[in-house]
Amino acid sequence: MNKIKLLSAVGTAVAIAVVAASCGDQTTRSTGWEFSRNMYDPIGYNPDQPNANFKDGKTAQIPPAGTTPVGFERFPYSASNEDYERAGVELVNPLVHTAENLEQGKALYQVYCAVCHGPEGHGDGSITKDRTLEAESRQLENFPPPPSYARSDSINSSRGGRMADLTDGKIYHTITYGLNMMGSHASQLSPEERWKVVMYVRELQKN
Amino acid sequence: MRNISLVFGRVVRPISVALVLLLAVSSLQAQDAKEGETIFKANCSSCHKVFGKFLGPELAGVSERHDEAWLLKWIHNAPAMIASGDPAALELDAQFPSAAMTAFPQLQEGQIKSILAYIKSEEEKKAAGDAAGGATGGNGGAAAAASGDANNFMIIGLVAVIVLAFAVILVLNRVIRTLERVIATNKELIPEPEATETPGKDYLGKLKKLAKNKKLVFFAVLMVAVFLGSAGWKTLWNVGVHEGYKPVQPIKFSHQLHAGVNQIECQYCHGGAFKSKNASIPSANVCMNCHKAITASDKYDGELSPEIAKIYRALDYDPETMEYGPNQRPIEWVRIHNLPDFAYFNHSQHVVVAGVECQTCHGPIETMAEVYQYSPLTMSWCIDCHKKTEVNHEGNAYYDQLIAAHEKLKKGEKVTAAMLGGLECGKCHY
Repeated sequence: MNKIKLLSAVGTAVAIAVVAASCGDQTTRSTGWEFSRNMYDPIGYNPDQPNANFKDGKTAQIPPAGTTPVGFERFPYSASNEDYERAGVELVNPLVHTAENLEQGKALYQVYCAVCHGPEGHGDGSITKDRTLEAESRQLENFPPPPSYARSDSINSSRGGRMADLTDGKIYHTITYGLNMMGSHASQLSPEERWKVVMYVRELQKN
Repeated sequence: MRNISLVFGRVVRPISVALVLLLAVSSLQAQDAKEGETIFKANCSSCHKVFGKFLGPELAGVSERHDEAWLLKWIHNAPAMIASGDPAALELDAQFPSAAMTAFPQLQEGQIKSILAYIKSEEEKKAAGDAAGGATGGNGGAAAAASGDANNFMIIGLVAVIVLAFAVILVLNRVIRTLERVIATNKELIPEPEATETPGKDYLGKLKKLAKNKKLVFFAVLMVAVFLGSAGWKTLWNVGVHEGYKPVQPIKFSHQLHAGVNQIECQYCHGGAFKSKNASIPSANVCMNCHKAITASDKYDGELSPEIAKIYRALDYDPETMEYGPNQRPIEWVRIHNLPDFAYFNHSQHVVVAGVECQTCHGPIETMAEVYQYSPLTMSWCIDCHKKTEVNHEGNAYYDQLIAAHEKLKKGEKVTAAMLGGLECGKCHY
């Protein structure tokens, strides 16, 4: 009799322990115990850290007015329509049209452009389409679709002319400054990467 | 009687005919509006909203502002109208200097009329909604006030319960003291109760018996020792390991929504993973590439989402004028992955050169409504993966050089340090 009691007590204890251990989703709001934290924290400042040495408290500072950071290429055109037209006439893609450049342009296009402009440039990216957030069973708002580049769709640009006839300089200017609902992508794409994307968009225009 | 039915018939016939006509017309309009909606969403919505100014003017009431013939011409070819010096066109162009109206020569007259029908139907819908909303709006306000009251009521209630609990404790203390005094004074008068076995005492006795059971005591001590030992072992091994760390972020940003449902590539925001050591947290201008248009107002009864409002506040952005102010401040995200400073890790090396998927280390990030640290980021975790991963040396100049050096060694030729990159500046001056 005593043995049965003992066994049942052990069983209950183990069951409680197992249930307690499997509670929750194994995530926590706290980092837990830490030892010698100062060996873990960087001595130098990370760009995203607060920094008391600067007036605005940020480590990532904007370069002072009138200076050009090393390796930074200035774009000698303003965001105005006149400069857009000027860039459209004056600028040509400095990169050589190679399969490698085109391939990289395509990869960059898929990451930075296709989400709105669509994988083929028809203006049907994933966020312009109807989609549902299952967790909240909520229909998400659609992003207004951009115009198609494809010749077959024959859509006009809001700055005149066919989308399919946009020149290198005009596309580069638009990626750099943005237009209408499109924001500037200059912070995400370096000048060279922008030219690679331009090269690929010129291909999409032929569709 | 006959007269009445005759009169009735005379009246009813035209009315029914009119009704049928009206129905036909309205269903036609509905069809037009439906077609118009599709055309509007595909061509106009990137610059116009029916209600409220967007990049271009508000479209509600456009049919009152301009006559249809003018609108048809304008939508068909606005730049030509501006060039021809049409006064209304010039005025509109001057009102919106930063945006120009696109020409839509591909749209048929009927299609433009459908767009206008759609705008009209939206206006009517809103007017009907406003009329109904006027009635329910008051209720909504009352409900909101009631929920506010409920909150206040709960707080007051809680305070009352706490005060009451203190009062009860005080009173009970008093009672105990008086009872003790009574017992003290009456001790001699009350005869000592006979020592009888009460159930409570029996229970105690049983416990004492159990405590004498050596096997059981040994087992209990063993259990406690195992429990404490394993818990202590686990805790000590996890000192400084942040696996499962899920801090509260300043904005309730959901990767499930952005990376999962919207299928935005990871690098759209974390472009640093391609180019640098850090995967980088996007600056708020990247958020604004979409959130200039997306306000999630459908979830918040037509109001701007409070979470998106935090981006606007950080950028001092005014959604009415669509302009940025001077009082900008960073969004203070809480860093989740804290690799110790004595360990060097480079994202671009892993993502670009090795082609490792983000999910390999960060887990099913596209399903996380709230991000947590998926991997332990311990040294053994790194080493385990490095032991298993095969190197893809195809088209990699670094490995080409290494293989060439090995070929030379096989042939018995000399291999100098310079050949293995020994002359690179960084080898000494890092």
